Amino acid sequence: MFDFNLANCLTLSVIVFLVGCYGLLTRRSLVMILLSIEVVLNGVNFSLISFNHFLWGTREFGHYLYMLSIGVAAAEAAIGLGMAIVFFRNYRDISRERASRLSEGES
Amino acid sequence: MSELALNNGLFSASATLIVLFSLLVVLARNPVRSTLLLIMSFLPTSLIYVMLKAPFVGILQILVYAGAIMMLFTFVVMMVNPRPEENELGHLPGADPAGTRRIELNVLGGLAIAGIPLIIMVRSAAANLPLGPEHPSEFGELSSISKLIFENPMENPLTVSFELISFLVLVGIIAAINFSRRDPSHKKGTP
Repeated sequence: MFDFNLANCLTLSVIVFLVGCYGLLTRRSLVMILLSIEVVLNGVNFSLISFNHFLWGTREFGHYLYMLSIGVAAAEAAIGLGMAIVFFRNYRDISRERASRLSEGES
Repeated sequence: MSELALNNGLFSASATLIVLFSLLVVLARNPVRSTLLLIMSFLPTSLIYVMLKAPFVGILQILVYAGAIMMLFTFVVMMVNPRPEENELGHLPGADPAGTRRIELNVLGGLAIAGIPLIIMVRSAAANLPLGPEHPSEFGELSSISKLIFENPMENPLTVSFELISFLVLVGIIAAINFSRRDPSHKKGTP
């Protein structure tokens, strides 16, 4: 049973962040890498809201930062997934090994 | 049951679910399953947001994250349709499974070396911080947030930066449309 306090909320956010980093470093497909970035962003957003609740109780600056963050996440997802689709159309493969050999041309 | 015990129980259950689903997102071999599991991990997150007196943010988490962004991911996964067995490192042509296991263990060890001191530092720092003042009665509701962002718009820097985010999303849309446009000289049927 975990107490509902700032230390536990921040621990949860760090754990989610690290899980996302693990996915970022071990998955191959570009879509899965973008999905891991979403997990990382989720952990960061969680820390923003918990700081706002426990330490800065008068105004909602943390909520405001959360809204900025999901705006950035939406733009990033749109651009990244667009790139993944173009990449798939050209090479029939969205692995990051293929992406690191772009200079070799089509094959 | 007192409100404190209820909060602790809900927080424990939601935190366990969030960590479990996030781990499954990262470890699942099928991308469609990963996407749906990430949506599942957003639901307990929004429950904790409501407990943190941020009901509007909890609604945004469901509507925008789970509803819009993750649906975009689901559609792209279905269009691209990556085969599940190609998504792990060991299924590269010519890769050996032992090397893959070694890479994964190295990443895990590096994250543990970086993460465990980080968690200890965060916990000890958070235990010593003074708690903030009491919340006003409308804290976290839409009226209060909009008052924070749009009150006195000519002199409020938050208004400008909030409107600039809409430009960022517009640039993202234009870039995505530009990516997906086909080259006019492209012959049909050739890759």
